[in-house]
Amino acid sequence: MARRQRGSSAPRKNGRVGYGVPVLLAVGLHVLVVVISVVSLPQRQPEPETSSIVQATLVSTETTTDQAQRAEEARARAAARQAEEEARQAEEARQAEEEARQEEEARQAEAEEQARQAEQEQAEREEEARRLQEARQEAEAEAQRRAEEAERQAQLREEQEAERQRQQEAAEEAERQRQLEAQQRAEEEARRQREAEAEAQRQREAEAEAQRQREAEAEAQRQREAEAEAQRQREAEAEAQRQREAEAEAQRQREAEAEAQRQREAEAEAQRQREAEAEAQRQREAEAEAQRQREAEEQRRREEEAQRQREEEARRAAEAASQGLDRAIEGESDSVANAQQGQEAANSFINLVRRAVEQAWVIPPGASNGLSATVQVRLGPSGELFGATITQSSGDSSFDRSAIQAVEAAAPFNELRQLPPMAQRDFRQFNLRFTPGDVR
Amino acid sequence: MNDSMSIPHLIMSASTVVQLVMLILVIGSILSWVVIFQRTFVLRRARRAHQSFEERFWSGVDLNELYRETPSEQETLGAEHVFRAGFREFNRLMAKTKSADAILDGVQRSMRVAWSREEERLTLHLVFLATVASASPYIGLFGTVWGIMGSFQSLSMAQQATLATVAPWIAEALIATAMGLFAAIPAVIFYNRLSSESDRMLGKYEDFAEEFHSILHRNLQGRSEAGAA
Repeated sequence: MARRQRGSSAPRKNGRVGYGVPVLLAVGLHVLVVVISVVSLPQRQPEPETSSIVQATLVSTETTTDQAQRAEEARARAAARQAEEEARQAEEARQAEEEARQEEEARQAEAEEQARQAEQEQAEREEEARRLQEARQEAEAEAQRRAEEAERQAQLREEQEAERQRQQEAAEEAERQRQLEAQQRAEEEARRQREAEAEAQRQREAEAEAQRQREAEAEAQRQREAEAEAQRQREAEAEAQRQREAEAEAQRQREAEAEAQRQREAEAEAQRQREAEAEAQRQREAEAEAQRQREAEEQRRREEEAQRQREEEARRAAEAASQGLDRAIEGESDSVANAQQGQEAANSFINLVRRAVEQAWVIPPGASNGLSATVQVRLGPSGELFGATITQSSGDSSFDRSAIQAVEAAAPFNELRQLPPMAQRDFRQFNLRFTPGDVR
Repeated sequence: MNDSMSIPHLIMSASTVVQLVMLILVIGSILSWVVIFQRTFVLRRARRAHQSFEERFWSGVDLNELYRETPSEQETLGAEHVFRAGFREFNRLMAKTKSADAILDGVQRSMRVAWSREEERLTLHLVFLATVASASPYIGLFGTVWGIMGSFQSLSMAQQATLATVAPWIAEALIATAMGLFAAIPAVIFYNRLSSESDRMLGKYEDFAEEFHSILHRNLQGRSEAGAA
């Protein structure tokens, strides 16, 4: 120690080395190591965290769904109009037995044609206003109350819901009719005849002013006398008609709902409608069930044929996979058939697609959690992929490419054929959002 | 995640014993690096000094002149120190005795003392480097074991043991071992390097001492033969 001090006090070329510079160097070295570890670690750490679960979420099916529904409605409306025109040409000469009821049906049928409907509605409003005045003058308390109610409801319905409601219902009814047509041709014929009669009646009324006047008067008379009488008549008819056909019943019920449902008991109407819907639903379910069984059998047969050509182990593995797929499809189609709402079917199909895409997705290394890309997918009628395009880029081109590759690898989505025909059209086009989540 | 697993955060959140161990290791590491730098400088300087002295010694200069040029004994280093000690003893004994053996014995003894002092100077603090090299892994291991003990104690109180609850504890415990290794590895490397270098220097000093001894022996032989003749 003493030597070192002396050495430093008398520095020479061969003098002893002090400790100042080494201490400085050593401390500086450690500080450097600490700084490097602190600075470089945050940059290195995001890399191991990219091992993450795939989260592909489907967004905004509503827009495409809505378009498809509108197109569907328009198609159904056109078909209904064509069928009615056919019926009218064929059955123009026939007369109606019930004037009032036919007048109601005629008005309902007119509602499906927009131009004529507006005219007819105007006439009806005038008639009902007149009827209301007459009822008031007669000062029958119950009849007056019902007339007021009828007028209010008619005005409300005709002015507010008017076209949209009636067209939608008409389209749905027409759709149901077409389905029933395949199974119940005879009833359908009868219904068409009646509709044609209604059309004939309307045409005659349009042609003959006196005729329409008389009808209006008959209607006013009927309204004035008692709604209960008409209801009794309609109920009697409904009994006979329900036995004949479910469709005409639904038709009449909807008509009654449009015109006289509020005047009658709402429970009976709702009950009848529910029965009609249940009937239609049951038929659709049966249809879907048969379709599904046929599909499953065909699929199984195809699988077996393909499997026979493969090797034993590969065959077994593929069989297991296809069985799992079949089971998934069966459960899927079951749930679709049971779904009362199209939304449920939509969700299950979305889940299938999402699962398939998730499994096929290979996230590029280095993709951070914040990335998100939206891919628009267009499918063919049997589920094959028509196109996948990036609608909202994540900014990372490799990430976008991986998303599109995932969709391409997951296609075709054969489950689309298991869906009911209406839902199929809705899912020809949808969006998929790709966001890698992390494990926690 | 990013924040809680960074090394400074882990060090700050460690238990007291582990922090103490880390402190000891940091101090040991700093001191060992001080020694490393200081010894490196000392040895480099000694090598240069030896080189320049040997050039001067073998340049045919008169030994008395060389002795007079060199500074006092306390200031000299290395082979110069050995030369000064031996030549001074030689001059003193020459005045007192005629016996060549006695003179050479005295010179050799004096040079051995000087060499021994040089050895002590060159290997100063190298033992500390060896201590750090061998002990700091164990110290770090102790800190790790202590930290993992603490982590398991706290784990026994947790409802469910997931990797996320254990990981920070183990990470901060392992930092102690890492720091022990961080201190030990340079210490081992530089201890080996510096000790071999100092051994080499000491070997050169010894060689020089032997050569100087042979020169003095030759001188005495020539003088005794001249005196006899």
